[in-house]
Amino acid sequence: MALMNTVQAPLTPAVLHILLALSAGALHGYRIMKQVEADSQGKTKMGPGTLYGSMGRMMEAGLIRESDKRVDPEMDDERRIYYALTGAGRAALEAELGRYRGVVAVAEGRLSYGH
Amino acid sequence: MATNGAGQRYRTWYSRLLRLYPQPFRERFGEGMVQTFHDLCREYRDAGRDVFGLSLRIFFETSVGIVRENVSHMSQTGNTLLRAALVALGLLMVPLVASQMVDDWHWGVGGFVFAYIMFFGTALAYALIARHMGAWAYKAGVGLALVAGFVLGWGSMVHLSESDNPVNFVYFGVLAVGGVGAWLVRLEARGMARALFAMAGVMAVVGVLAVTLPWDAPSGPMRSVAVLHGIFVALFTASGLLFRQASLARLK
Repeated sequence: MALMNTVQAPLTPAVLHILLALSAGALHGYRIMKQVEADSQGKTKMGPGTLYGSMGRMMEAGLIRESDKRVDPEMDDERRIYYALTGAGRAALEAELGRYRGVVAVAEGRLSYGH
Repeated sequence: MATNGAGQRYRTWYSRLLRLYPQPFRERFGEGMVQTFHDLCREYRDAGRDVFGLSLRIFFETSVGIVRENVSHMSQTGNTLLRAALVALGLLMVPLVASQMVDDWHWGVGGFVFAYIMFFGTALAYALIARHMGAWAYKAGVGLALVAGFVLGWGSMVHLSESDNPVNFVYFGVLAVGGVGAWLVRLEARGMARALFAMAGVMAVVGVLAVTLPWDAPSGPMRSVAVLHGIFVALFTASGLLFRQASLARLK
């Protein structure tokens, strides 16, 4: 499936960060942005165009889904759409993290051998 | 520092900018994007930062996203059309091959063109509707409804061409109930379930009338009429149940 190919490993940085942000629970758009910023120590900042464009492709690939529409108690009384990971999304995140671990292990082995 | 009035103005302009996204994307994410933009502006305003500069940056970033989504949408639409055309061509092979093997099959070129248009329309409708939701139950519901609707429409047209009995037009009414229902509920799963149940209900009423009204027909065909109507009622009901399942799965 073409859409599935767009999110197969290795995941794009945007997709990886969104999956990571949602791994702790459902969030709405603004909270996802803030979580991505916090997770990357401020190195990755997404605008709405990048965020929702990536989420559109992720939804079509079945990695995330619309969770519900509710008020964020820490913000105003406007109801916001929340997004959550699906089982496939969690599996994709775990697979990607496993791939990263493999790369890091190889790199560390090679660097220590070099010393 | 931007005032609330300026923030409201930026929000309105941003909403207008989002109209340039492809319609399916806008319907799915437009509201969330405006909220997110509003939340970012408020964060900047509360921190005493430059909201105008932020708005410019986001307008530019969103414009890039608009170009990307439109290019992707056009490419997807082209692929969908091509797939529907190929599926229709594959389905057309059935009557084409059958007409070579069955002696009484006398379709002219017009008949095959008409069949191709029907196949293409049904395949395209499936592709366009089914992409609204990823759930298998929704896709299965769309497929079942379209196949049942296609067979009902085709059968009614054949009957009309053979008997000129205007009563057969009532079956197009059943299809119209589904079409209008789908349009009214904007293809939303729970609404689609209701539309399909309504089709099943209308079909059941038509079936009862067809069997109970005083027709000059032997009892054999009457039994067939009842069975045929029952099959369509079952198909539309099953499709409605699949949409209902998709709607419930979405709530979980």
